[in-house]
Parts: sequence; C-alpha cells; structure tokens
Amino acid sequence: MKKVAINIISSAKVFAETKLENLDEKRLVPHMMTRRRLTRNSKVMLFLSDKCDFTSGKIVYGSCFSELEETAKIANAVLENEMLSPTSFQNSVYNTAPSYFSLVNKDTDEIITISSGMKTSLDTLKAAALQALVSGEKVLCICIECINIKNIEQINKCTKYLESGAAVVIEIAKDSEGAQEIQNLPIEGLMDSLQDLISVVNMNEKGIKKVLVEL
Amino acid sequence: MNVYINNYELLCNAGDTKSLMEAVYSKQSAVTINESYLPDAKAGLGIMKYDNIYNVLDDITSKILKDSNLDNFHNTLLILGSSVGGMQECEEIFYSQKSYSNIDPNRYSMNALSDHLSKKFNFYDSRAISTACTSSANAMLLAKRLIEVEAYDNVLVVGADGICSSTVLGFHSLSVLSDKRCTPFDKNRNGMNVAEAVAGILIQNVKTDNSIELKGVGASSDAYHMTNPDPSASGAKNSMRNAIKDAGIEIEDIDYVNAHGTATIANDNVESKAVEELFGNKAYVNSTKAITGHTLGAAGAVEAIVSCEVIKHSIIPPQTGLVELDNENINVPKESIKMDIKNVVSNSFAFGGNNTSLVFGVCK
Repeated sequence: MKKVAINIISSAKVFAETKLENLDEKRLVPHMMTRRRLTRNSKVMLFLSDKCDFTSGKIVYGSCFSELEETAKIANAVLENEMLSPTSFQNSVYNTAPSYFSLVNKDTDEIITISSGMKTSLDTLKAAALQALVSGEKVLCICIECINIKNIEQINKCTKYLESGAAVVIEIAKDSEGAQEIQNLPIEGLMDSLQDLISVVNMNEKGIKKVLVEL
Repeated sequence: MNVYINNYELLCNAGDTKSLMEAVYSKQSAVTINESYLPDAKAGLGIMKYDNIYNVLDDITSKILKDSNLDNFHNTLLILGSSVGGMQECEEIFYSQKSYSNIDPNRYSMNALSDHLSKKFNFYDSRAISTACTSSANAMLLAKRLIEVEAYDNVLVVGADGICSSTVLGFHSLSVLSDKRCTPFDKNRNGMNVAEAVAGILIQNVKTDNSIELKGVGASSDAYHMTNPDPSASGAKNSMRNAIKDAGIEIEDIDYVNAHGTATIANDNVESKAVEELFGNKAYVNSTKAITGHTLGAAGAVEAIVSCEVIKHSIIPPQTGLVELDNENINVPKESIKMDIKNVVSNSFAFGGNNTSLVFGVCK
C-alpha cells in the first residue's frame, strides 16, 4: 500500500434531479455539428472542466454507468428490429465524454476511463494520483453519472439526482505535511459511485487543499 | 524498477494460448461465418466455446494462480479491462422481458466481472477500466506504472469481453463488419470480425525463469474524430514513440509490431502509415486479428500474450489471409521467419482516438 499527497488546484460539482440546465454548450462548443452529437455526459464533462479551468493534459474519467442513454437507445432499437444509429453506437463507449473533450480542446494527451461500480470515484482518484505522480503534471480527475433515461424507475431505487458530476484538477504535493485523509462528506441523493470525489470537492470548498490518496 | 510478465492464459475462438499460437503459426483463422446476429446478412465472428463468461474468468484466473509463484492473490491488485462488462447477460434479460426491472445494476456495470473475481479469489483490491478497444492495454499501462512506483508487487490484468448483439449490430451500423474472415493489411480487405475472449496476465516486480519484460507503455489521443483515426497517423505514432521512449530503447531496436490491424480500410491505412513512417520496412508487422477477430476490450491482453509468445518462440508470425499487400512500404511476412526477437511493440487503438502501445522484450 502506498499513499501520496495531492494538491487540489481547482474543483467543481453539479447535480440535478432530472436534467442539468445551462451547461453553456454554445460557448464551449461553437462547432454546431460537434455540439449536436454530444452526449449528456460529454456536455457535463465540458462544463465541469471549464469550471476547473482545465483545457489540456492528462485526464482520468470515471463513470459507473457512463453513456446509459446511448446504450438504452441501442438496446431498444435491437428489441424493435430497427436500424441502429451509428452515432449512438460510437457514443456508447465509456470513454465518449473525455474523447469529446479531447476533440473540442485538441488535447492529444492520455485518457484513462475507470468504471469500478460504486467505488468508481475513489478508483478514479487513485488512477489520477498515479498519473500525476508518474508524469509530474496536473491531471483532471472527473466523474459523471447521467442516468435520466425512459423507464429508469424500473431499476433506480435510491438515486435522487439523475444527472451529476464532480471534478478536481490535481498535482502531486511536494510533501505530505498537513495532508488529510479523504473525509466522508457526501451529498445525500447522489449515486454512491460519485461520493468519494464529491467529498474531495467538498473538502476543497472548506479550504482543505492537500489530500492523501492510496494508489 | 523492471516489470515482468510471469504467467498468462487466455481463451479465445482458437482455444487456449497453446492452441492460439499453433493457429497463428499455421495460418488457421478461427473466425466463423455466422448468420444469426444480423438480419439478412452474414458476419465473420470470433466465437469461443464456453457456457458462461464468469466460469471462463474463474478457470483462467485459477490456472494463472496455480502456475505462479504466489499462494494466493491477497496481496495482488486486479485490474479488469472490458468494453461491455456484464452487458451480455443483461441484454439477454432485457430482450426476453422487454423491461429493465429484473436487471441487477451490479451485474450490468463494467465491474461486474472484476467484482466476481475479487470476491472469489480475495484480491487485495480491484478496479475496472473501460476505454473501448484499448481497455486491457490501458490496464497493462496502469499496472506497469503502479509496480514502478512500488505501490504493488503483483498486478493481475484481465481483459474480458463477450459478444453482445449490440456490439455486432453496432459495428454493422458503421459498415465496418466483414462477412468473411478478415484479412488485415490486404489490398482487398473488407472489414473486421467482432470476437470475444478472456485473457489474464500476471505482472510482477520479480523476474522468473519464464519472464518477459514489460519494458514500455505509451498512450495518446488523436483529438480528431470519434471513430475514424487521424489520417496523419500522428496519434498512432505518438503512442508507439511514447512506449519506445518509456522502454529506454530506440526505434531501431524493435523487431516486430503486433498491429492493432482490424482489417478496416481506415485503421489499416493509418496504422500502415504510422509503421512506415516510424520503422520503414525494418520491423516485421502483422495482425493476429486474422485468427482471433477483434476481441474489443480484451484485445490488448490477448495480443500482449501473443507478443510474449512470439518472443519465446523466436518466430515472427506470418500474416494469415494476406494475398496482396496494400502498403508495400511495410514488412508484412506471408510466411514465418525464425530469428532472434528482442523487442516487440503491440498496438491497441479505440473509439474516441484512444491509442495505447506496449513494448515487450527479452529480460536483461
């Protein structure tokens, strides 16, 4: 087991019960054809990364269910013997959101996507800390869940906020002096897969800017 | 800190590792022509013989543990690379019941497979990576870095993807599926074969008699298009350059490139250009997807095993299915070549322009 201390450079979070509004897509993605193809996760990703003032560099993205809307469109098309949309298929992969970020921002750096169930955001933080340690660079660590699909109530029993996300830009701290363990500062009603990163965002908002992460 | 690949096993359409390498060297494609997935159309698919992917995961993991220097996996990190996770089981439920009600979200998500293994074998910790067709290559990238910074001594990487209706129909919607056995780098290639596999690789910080070194890892993003590779090939070249630099060797030291080589027009054009511009015709190149098909998120791990086997056999594999080479400036052999093989690059490229390259070599 190895722990490293990370500095939180910037952070942001958003959540809504049904749909996040005012994600500033027109400013963030001026190219109309690209904007029209963005998934919900991609729009939230572009919004949060902008809030964190991150435009280029290594990205570690996490999502438990990722592009659920596109996957549901495909599954329903198969069920109804309809033609599949090529755009839905290409947008159904788990690295869709950070890939659109790379397209929009011409970022050619590494992208890693974590999907570890309810500990997704903790594992995303771990991978981001590793990337920061190995590269010596700032890394965007971002987790998003958008599960507002038709009939979601058939399986969703406990998540109040169907669209949510959190992001931090981190770097490796020069030392671990004053660094704190990740506190338990969740927001009730968010999916558990986000709560570890939400806690780190909340720590940053409270002024705690140095955090210990086990790799 | 050097990083070693000490044990591995896989199951794919050609069988286990030994059967796969026999097929590779005898140019026997294990792709079959299937008529059940597509309405009124045939598709070449790489289908493995199995009842349940969870049982395959158990068998592969048990064999690796038995052959390893470990008594258990209690101090080992598990990293899964998969593009569909538990979707295979869940889409069957949805198609039969026309409702999500009886789908367990924990059996749908990507980590369904890693959670199963983690519980069964008591791994120290587990995580799952999903970057489409680079998933298990990126799992290996993280494994190497975690061992190098001395966070772990042992990491088991598992690449696993089962065939789903949605993936076969999805690639069909992009018009990149071949109705025949795929023929990478051939002038008349007409697309890819979707396939499935489970591949496990034990990566450690100690060298054994059987070790192959994982010398370098590199990655990049095209930042060009969601499905089409950048025609300038800069993303593919950058990932290979980064991996070779990480390995501490020169481009001239690479003997063989195990290409991503899906046999789509776009991929093979761009990858050929990247290989030509980096290596000229000095390194041999081929794609073993002509045997296995494209095993998607498992491909990085499957082809890592092939790369290790090529080094151990000291035989460059022939390109199965090749009749007329499309890009004559790269060196794609039609027959096996016996030679001393010191270093191999294995490429994995994915939707979103996600590129990962791995360098394997004989131990110093």
